[in-house]
Amino acid sequence: MLQTQELQVNIGPQHPSTHGVFRMLVTVDGETVVDLKPVFGYLHRNHEQIAEANSYLQNMPYTDRLDYFNSMANNHAYAMAVERLAGIEVPERAEYIRVLMVELTRILNHASAVGFMINDMGAWQTPLAFGMREREKILDLFEMASGARLMCNYFRFGGVVRDLPPEFIPNLRELLRALPAYIDELERLLRDNEILLQRAIGIGILPPEVALSYGVSGPVLRGSGIPYDVRKAEPYSVYDRFDFDVPVGKVGDVYDRFLVRIEEMRQSKRIIEQVLEQLPDAKGGHINPKARQNVRPPVGDAYARIESPKGELGFYLVSDGSTRPYRYKVRAPSFINLTPLADMCRGYKVADIVVILGSIDIVMGEVDR
Amino acid sequence: MTASPFEIEIPRGRVIEVQRDDTRVRRGGGLLRGMAVVWKHWKESFKLNRSYSQIHGTFTIEYPEERPRIPEAYRNMPILLYDDETGHELCTSCFQCERICPPQVIHMTQAKDPATGKPVPAVAEFIIEYDACMSCGFCAEVCPFDAIKMDHEFELSTDDHTQLTVHKEQLLRPISYYAKIAPTMWAEVRESALKKLQGNIRRRPDVIGLAPQLTEKIAARRAELAAQAAQAAAAAPVAPAAAPAPAEGRKLTPEEKAAKLAAIRAAKAAQAGESATPAEAAPATPSPTPAGEAAPPADKAAKLAAIRAANAAKKAAAGEAPATPPAAPDASAAETTPSAAPPSDKAARLAAIRAANAAKKAAAGEAPATPPATPAGGTAADAPADAPPAAPPSDKAARLAAIRAANAAKKQQSGDGS
Repeated sequence: MLQTQELQVNIGPQHPSTHGVFRMLVTVDGETVVDLKPVFGYLHRNHEQIAEANSYLQNMPYTDRLDYFNSMANNHAYAMAVERLAGIEVPERAEYIRVLMVELTRILNHASAVGFMINDMGAWQTPLAFGMREREKILDLFEMASGARLMCNYFRFGGVVRDLPPEFIPNLRELLRALPAYIDELERLLRDNEILLQRAIGIGILPPEVALSYGVSGPVLRGSGIPYDVRKAEPYSVYDRFDFDVPVGKVGDVYDRFLVRIEEMRQSKRIIEQVLEQLPDAKGGHINPKARQNVRPPVGDAYARIESPKGELGFYLVSDGSTRPYRYKVRAPSFINLTPLADMCRGYKVADIVVILGSIDIVMGEVDR
Repeated sequence: MTASPFEIEIPRGRVIEVQRDDTRVRRGGGLLRGMAVVWKHWKESFKLNRSYSQIHGTFTIEYPEERPRIPEAYRNMPILLYDDETGHELCTSCFQCERICPPQVIHMTQAKDPATGKPVPAVAEFIIEYDACMSCGFCAEVCPFDAIKMDHEFELSTDDHTQLTVHKEQLLRPISYYAKIAPTMWAEVRESALKKLQGNIRRRPDVIGLAPQLTEKIAARRAELAAQAAQAAAAAPVAPAAAPAPAEGRKLTPEEKAAKLAAIRAAKAAQAGESATPAEAAPATPSPTPAGEAAPPADKAAKLAAIRAANAAKKAAAGEAPATPPAAPDASAAETTPSAAPPSDKAARLAAIRAANAAKKAAAGEAPATPPATPAGGTAADAPADAPPAAPPSDKAARLAAIRAANAAKKQQSGDGS
C-alpha cells in the first residue's frame, strides 16, 4: 500500500540560492510545495536603533549598507526625508545629478537581478557574468563621482557631496551608446532559451489582488499588471520633467517580472538621456551652500519615498528637535516583497522556489536591517 | 484583472504591457542562438575591452601585474598629512573628525606645551581603528585644516589584527604624496591649507606637531651640525659654521641624546669663546625662515638668550650701561624662541641655571640692568612671537625665564620617566 507523507525541509539559512542568510521552512509533498514559511532575521544589525543614536548625517553611510546594490537610491530616499524634515532646498543641478545616479543604479540593479535569476535557474555563472559586466562600468562611474563603488555615500542634505568630475559625462555617453545592444543581448539570453523559458513561464504567479493586499511594490507589483510607480504616482525630485513609460506584466509570473525589469532598464536609459539634455551647468552648484550638514530639524515628522529599483523605499523620521532622529524607520521594499513568497510558491516544485525567490530580487541587508 | 495588451496614456509617458511572445518557443532554435551569443563572446574574449562603448572583449585586469586606474575621488582609509618642508603636521586636534566619525573609530589627544602645560593646536596621539572604519570619508570632509585625507592604498591585508589599529606614525604622509594621488583635489584646497598651517605653527612650540617620520633623519643632521658648531666655536668662532645650524635645525626635535651632548659641548665651547655669540647670531637669525615663525633649535636659542642675559647682567653689575649691542641680537633670539623655549634637554637646564645666576648677580649688584632691557623689549614687541620674550636681560624677566625653564625641565624629566 503506497502512501505519501508531508515532509518539512529547511532551505537555508546558509544556502547558495537564498541570496544571503535566509531560511525557508518548506512543507513538501514529494516535490510539490504545500506550504512555505519564510524565516528571516539572521542578518539583523540593529540598523534603526543605531540610526537613532547617530546624528542625521552620520546615518547617511549606514543607509548605503541597507541594499548594497543600490546605495545611491537609499541615499536619495534618506536625504529627501531629512530635507523634508528640516526644510532644505536642493539646487536644480543636484536634483538632476541625483536622478542620473538613481537611474544608473536601476540599470545595474536590474542587470544583476536578471543575471542572478538566470543563475538561480541553473545557468551557472555565465549569464551572471553578462549581467555583471555593464554593472562594472556603471560602478566605475560611481567611483569617479563618489569615490566608492558600492558604498557611495554620495548624497548630502541639500545636494550631493561633490560635482561630477570632468571625465564623467564623456564616459557616461560612451556607456549609453553601448547600452541598447547590451540590454538586447541580456534579454535574448532568456527570451530565446527554451529551457529557461520552461522554468519561467507560468511559474510563481502572483495575482494582482494578492500583490496589492501584501503591499508589494516595484517590478514585482508591475509584473502582476498593476501600473504603480512612485515616480509617476507621486513625482518627487525632477521626475515630472522626463518622458518615460511604465511597463507592466500580464500574468504575474517569473517571466513577466523579468520582462518588466528589462523594459525598465530601457526606460532608465531614456531618462538618463533626458537628464544629459537638461542638466543645468555647474554654475547652479551641486549643493545648497546654506544647508547645514549638522542638521537640527524642528520637532515634527517626515516620510519620503522613492521608487527604488526594488520597489517603494521609504524613510520615516521623527524629530524631537535634537541632532538625532527620535525615530527612524525604513520601509524596505525587499522585506515587503518577500512576504507573499508562500503564496507565490504554493503548488510549485521545490526547484521553482529558488527561481521565484530570485525573481523577487531581494537583498538580505535590506530585509533584515 | 489581467487585461488584454493595452497602452494607457499617463502624464509624460504611457503604461505599456510587455510583449510576452509565449509562442516564440522554437524547439531548440533558441538554445542555439544562446550558444551563438556565448560563442561570440568567447571569440571576442581574445580582444581587450577598454572602452565604455564596447560590449565585447575582456576587460579583466590582471591585478597584481596590472593596476586599475584609480580615480582621484577614490576613498579607502583616512591618512594624516604633514608638510614636506618643515615636517609640521597639519592636524590641530580640533576633534571634528572624532565627533563626526559614524563608527567612532578615531581617537586623539591634544598636545600640550611642555613649558606651560597648556593645550596647543597640535595632536599628541592619533589613532584610527582601520578594522572598523567604514570609509565614508566624513573625516576628510569636515576637517577644516585639510589635515585628514582619504588614501588610495587598498592593500592593507595583514595577518596581525592589532596592526589595523593605526597610530599617528603610520598615518602620516607628506603633502607631496597626497598631491600626487589627488592633484586637482589638493590644488583646490592647497592655498588655504598651507596658510592655515602657517598660522598653526605660529601658535605651537617648535617641537610640537612634528612628523615623527623625520625624527631620525633630523636628529642625525642635528648632531652633525652641533658637532660642527662645537668644533668651529672651539677652534675659531666664526659665523659660517653656526649659520646653517638654525636654517637646517628648524626641523629638529631635541630627542636624540647625541644631539643633546653635542649641544652641551657647543654651549661650553661658546662659553669659552664668548665674543663670538653676537656675531654668530646676527647673520643667522634674519636670513632663514622666510615664513618667520619657525624657530632655531630651542635649546640653542635658550642657551644664547641665557648667555646674553648673563652677559648683560654682568655688564650691568659692572656698571657698564650701553649694553645695547648684545641686546639687538637678544631681541631676535626672543623672536626665534616663541614660547618660553621647550627646554627639554640639558642645555636648556644649563641655560636656565645660568640665567638664574645672572639674575641673582644683577639683583645683588645694582639696578641699571634695565637700560639694555628696553631696546630688547621694544624689538621683541614687533616680533611675531606671541609668547613673552624668552630671556630679556632684566632681572625680573630673567628670573621668570629661569623659573619657567626649570619647571619645564622638571616636567620633561617626569615625562621621560613615565
